[in-house]
Amino acid sequence: MAALGFGLAYAGFLGLCLAMDRHHAELLRGRPAAGRRWLLRGVGWLLLGLSLLPCLALWGVGIGIVAWLGLLTVAAYSLVHLIPYAPRLALWLGPLLPLAGLALSLAPT
Amino acid sequence: MQDAPALRHGWRPSWAVGRIDWRRMRSWHWPGVLSRSLAAVLGGYAVAALAATALALWLPTSRAEAVLTGTMLSFALYAGAVLWVFAAASALRAWVGLLLPAALLGALVWLGGGAG
Amino acid sequence: MKQGFRQCMAWLHTWSGLLVGWILFAVFLTGTASYFRGEISDWMRPELHAPAAGGEPAILAIETLKRLAPDSPTWFVFPPGERNSELRVVWRNPPGKPTPPGSRGFGNMVLDPATGEPVTARESYGGEFFYRFHFQLHMPPLWGRWVVGFCAMMMLVAIISGVITHRRIFADFFTFRPGKGAGRSWLDAHNALAVLALPYHLMITYTGLITLMLMYMPWGVQAVYKGDRGGFQAEVFGVAPPVRRANQPAPLAPVGPLLEEAMRRWGGPPGRIEVQQPGDASAIIRLTRRDSEQISSNPQTLTFDGVRGTLLGASGEPGAAAATRGVAYGLHLGRFASPLVRALFVLSGLAGTAMVATGLVLWAAKQRHRHARAGRAGFGLRLVEALNLGTIAGLPTAMLGYFWANRLLPLHLADRADWEVYCFFLLWGLAALQALFWPGLRSWATQFAAAALLGLLLPVLNLLTTHRHLGVSLPAGDWAMAGTDLLVAAFGLLLGLLSWRLFRRAGRAPVTRPVRGAGLARAEGA
Repeated sequence: MAALGFGLAYAGFLGLCLAMDRHHAELLRGRPAAGRRWLLRGVGWLLLGLSLLPCLALWGVGIGIVAWLGLLTVAAYSLVHLIPYAPRLALWLGPLLPLAGLALSLAPT
Repeated sequence: MQDAPALRHGWRPSWAVGRIDWRRMRSWHWPGVLSRSLAAVLGGYAVAALAATALALWLPTSRAEAVLTGTMLSFALYAGAVLWVFAAASALRAWVGLLLPAALLGALVWLGGGAG
Repeated sequence: MKQGFRQCMAWLHTWSGLLVGWILFAVFLTGTASYFRGEISDWMRPELHAPAAGGEPAILAIETLKRLAPDSPTWFVFPPGERNSELRVVWRNPPGKPTPPGSRGFGNMVLDPATGEPVTARESYGGEFFYRFHFQLHMPPLWGRWVVGFCAMMMLVAIISGVITHRRIFADFFTFRPGKGAGRSWLDAHNALAVLALPYHLMITYTGLITLMLMYMPWGVQAVYKGDRGGFQAEVFGVAPPVRRANQPAPLAPVGPLLEEAMRRWGGPPGRIEVQQPGDASAIIRLTRRDSEQISSNPQTLTFDGVRGTLLGASGEPGAAAATRGVAYGLHLGRFASPLVRALFVLSGLAGTAMVATGLVLWAAKQRHRHARAGRAGFGLRLVEALNLGTIAGLPTAMLGYFWANRLLPLHLADRADWEVYCFFLLWGLAALQALFWPGLRSWATQFAAAALLGLLLPVLNLLTTHRHLGVSLPAGDWAMAGTDLLVAAFGLLLGLLSWRLFRRAGRAPVTRPVRGAGLARAEGA
């Protein structure tokens, strides 16, 4: 569950990041077209919002929100550090992390 | 106010590049800075303490709740007062801007009987 | 004029951050270590065993107290929990009885949770030292707390003015450009550490002020309660004032059923058991809920008649402000049950520490850049660089040295616990001397290397000096011991990487005479 929250937060930040000219150029080359920019931004915010849900499910409202803010920090920080050192990995982790998180949270314990 | 270095390097805030131009900020000579620092530390604390007391006396909740609310909020007010002191156009204005609310809050405390 | 306002805020951010930066760094780092207060205390008393399956420790402790302190007016029992294996009892000495100096009228003992007998563990302040240091700096409590409170207020001002100054807060949100010179990388790092963990920084600063708010801002209580702090506490927390002794002997009710009642209501054992007037007809027993099970640390209590064992009352729902205070307090302490949430707090705490450190280094880097043409660093810059080195590299070295002192000092040394603290300050002093006389990149690298060695080799030292090394503690699931070993080693690894990079940089930098203030900034400029 926590891994899913982290994955969604990471993917959300990646979306917001790609919606910016400089980072789009760094990671994907070129500037994003207007439609694509809005799509990235919308999906980014949506994923960030969604990442709250696993936290609430796991920890309840009080600690859930606290943990969510912490996960957002760690996710954003991972992304910020990956961009200069391993841009391709930063990109690939976008879809991989939420999927891995989903698999982990669905896996029978 | 012109800030040439910051314009040239749009990516970083002015303080990373240029120094603050002391000549342009007329009240920022050291007596001004000293006066503002005193206003921020002591005056800010006085305003925050008066506000905490006034809230504790006047908030329409149970007295324990009022005391807690006032005390917890006072630190935000303190920070606000410090920012005001250093943002004001002159040291004199900074002091006046502290003394007016202090007088008002002091009156509230006095009316509420907290001074005795 | 808009620009003028921003410049004022930039000035305020720089100076409010710089003047108290070194204390803030120490507060942040020791505060982050305090998230492991219980674990560090356990690690530092390896003679104590992990709770074994046996009798209920709390019941055993009460039996021991009946023997140890029969005429005491109040007993406290702190049973072992998930996070610490220590069973501690504290009792108030009866009035009029001579007590050892410094004990403040309280007796205090650690018991073996399996037998309830006093254990003889080595003398050590354990994690308590870091915890106390982070809000009173090993100064007299009143002074230390005011100094830290002042610095916390400056921190709050620095955070707010920093946010105002940083006009490209969203545009630069994902920006980090390592390896760019002239302070750019330091600025990026400082911004990223500050902005990405901003909720934590604001929360920890403000809640820190709230934990000691009645000391910093007593005026509301003063005006409304005319200084009757006990009455205020009683009204806020719904805790009745202490009972009076009836002077009629009566046996104490068995504690077992009361613990079961607490278990039934809270789903967990209490974190504290208080017995007032034991052995008297007026006795009461009060159980306090363990604070790891809720976000708020407003104490929830159950009070029982100490002779009949009947429930007298439970603390009610707190009001909105009291609940807010409880949440603030609980957030600051971060004693959450979930290890993941605790890990997030620890990471954020380290981010805060690094934010302060990068801010301090950034200031020096900018100054050095500016002074580069003048050829000679001014006194202010040299002072800042020495303080930076002595604090940012010196404090971790000293903290790790404290762990070593715990294992290496003779077991029966007089005032052993104090000697551990002296070792901490001795190491810190040495680091400060090096910073004063040999400033420069090489000193940074060697100090971090020393700290890295102390951290990485700590599990080895533990192997050589105790029988609870990783080979034993890991299979046994002894997490206080294994976790401390591993986390300290990981911290050592981090410092080692830092040191390695600094050595490489020092090798590349132009050979200069290692005098007169060549700091980290020199390599940045190079």
